Amino acid sequence: MTALLTAENLTKHYDDVIALDGVSFEISEGITGVLGENGAGKSTAFKIFLGLLRPTSGTATILGENASESVAVRSRLGYMPEHDCLPSTVSAAEFLTHLAEVSGLPPTRARIRAADTLRHTGLFEERYRAMGGYSTGMKQRVKLAQALVHDPTIVFLDEPTAGLDPVGREEMLALVRKTHREFGISVLFSSHLMVDVERTCDRIIVLRGGRLVQSGEMEEFTKDTETVFIEVDDNRDRLVVALEERGVLVTSDGHGLCIEGSDESVYDKIRAALVESEAPLRRMAPRKGELTELFRLDGEADPENGKAT
Amino acid sequence: MTDATAPSPRGTEELEGTVFDIGYQRYVGPREGRNRARWAVYKDGLRLALGLGRGARAKVIPWFFITLLGVIGLIMALIAGAVNTYIGPNAAEALDLPSHSDYYGIASIVFFVFAAVGAPEMLCPDRKDGVINLYLVRPLTGSDYVSARWLAFFTVMVSVAWLPQLILLAGLSLSNANPGDYLLENWLDIPRLLTAGLAMAAYTTSLAMFVASFTTRRAYASVFLVGLFVITAPFTTGLAAELAEDFENTAGQWVSMFNLSNIPVHVNDLIFDDVSLITSVAPAGEFSGWVLVGWYFLWTLVPAGLLWMRYRKLTP
Repeated sequence: MTALLTAENLTKHYDDVIALDGVSFEISEGITGVLGENGAGKSTAFKIFLGLLRPTSGTATILGENASESVAVRSRLGYMPEHDCLPSTVSAAEFLTHLAEVSGLPPTRARIRAADTLRHTGLFEERYRAMGGYSTGMKQRVKLAQALVHDPTIVFLDEPTAGLDPVGREEMLALVRKTHREFGISVLFSSHLMVDVERTCDRIIVLRGGRLVQSGEMEEFTKDTETVFIEVDDNRDRLVVALEERGVLVTSDGHGLCIEGSDESVYDKIRAALVESEAPLRRMAPRKGELTELFRLDGEADPENGKAT
Repeated sequence: MTDATAPSPRGTEELEGTVFDIGYQRYVGPREGRNRARWAVYKDGLRLALGLGRGARAKVIPWFFITLLGVIGLIMALIAGAVNTYIGPNAAEALDLPSHSDYYGIASIVFFVFAAVGAPEMLCPDRKDGVINLYLVRPLTGSDYVSARWLAFFTVMVSVAWLPQLILLAGLSLSNANPGDYLLENWLDIPRLLTAGLAMAAYTTSLAMFVASFTTRRAYASVFLVGLFVITAPFTTGLAAELAEDFENTAGQWVSMFNLSNIPVHVNDLIFDDVSLITSVAPAGEFSGWVLVGWYFLWTLVPAGLLWMRYRKLTP
């Protein structure tokens, strides 16, 4: 699969602060999540690929062009910023038409694209109202619509669910999935919310302190682990003793217990321990990996192995 | 897919129509790149400056000033016309009534206040609302953006400068017994008023937009600019008069040069080879033409250049 976006030894310094430190990765078609704590370098990486910043060293290539040098390539990029970016006195239809023209579309086509994009993002009925009167959810939709209005090849979404209530968040995540699966536009999605990324993205890259620490397919991070998770209604302590007597390694995890090993002998031991301790079983399942664990780990992955293709 | 069935106008047959949702369509039309982007920002700038496509409130201020400037030109034309009609042909000229060379001097304060109110509209809301970030991730650089905005406001200011002069020209020529003869005799006024209008517009646009680039609040920029244009006039005039009494006249002349509302009017005087009403009492008018023109270019090109550099830094 051809890389849409490539970072090669990308480094960015702000005076003494190192925002990105020799990061290398490739991103191909699909929905890619960019994870990292505040100051991890996510926004800096976005800004370099969008042509708003020049890297201190290294190369950022997007759609085959150097991101810092090609202005033309930006007609194929979309960007939804995290912060407010909508004028309150203008209607969504007028605003999108104008931004489509700024992206290089002729006026008539821009008007048609604006109406189509607002329909696809669920704002068709409200398109002639001034945006100052929109709800937060509607504003987020306009922000997404303006990023899509010129039909980009890749769109950068910076915290698209920020400030949304649970229903609005669900709808926004559905729109993000639709953006790739129905519209065919690749997505680079930055978020602090692991659940959003886990449910939306095909692959992730994880930055920490300006360095790439993990990258790969989402399945690799969320597949079944070698741990069995069980939850009982009563006699939890007796169960732990019974398991330890059978030589099983048990750790406590909230209300449940995590038992290392997933072969059949472990399940036999659990069954015997449950019977002996008379603990009523509520739930037992192989534990799935979670993205939050990436941030509990102290060790860093090999930056050389940084492909998210 | 939606089925729509409706009775025919005759009521005898039923028409059946089907609306298909063809889903998302990829854009396969032309992408006209940076030139289209610049043109779009320029057009938007014109609309912003004139309040076009906005509510009535956005139109009130620009059209009030445009009307006021037009009315000044109209009154001058009516007075000249009445004098020519009732006293005699060319009486207005013989009586040295205010004409083309005086217009920019008379209307300069209104012109500057219009710039002070309009120029911040070009730049401040885009930064305040964060729209600038959406422009700069498109095929448009910071310098493209600010150049397009500058040109848009310059276009409006030039139009606003020329329109009353053309009204005055029409009034003066039509009040003459033979308008054709008037135009032949005074044809030089036409390139002069056009050039002087360009000079006025370039100066006010550059200075006003440069100031506007320092704040996201339109009101702050407008108040500061009104102060700059309006308050420097009595201050420098008074100080220049004091200095002229106590010291050599040169000090008063240089203080008078800082009367920001007079700077383009001195250039207007040079273009018309005549001293207008407001600069006739300004000590700076005693400087040579080269000094006055150099001073004008300094106050026009330096703010424009600094404005361009401030926005150029926004993109690598």
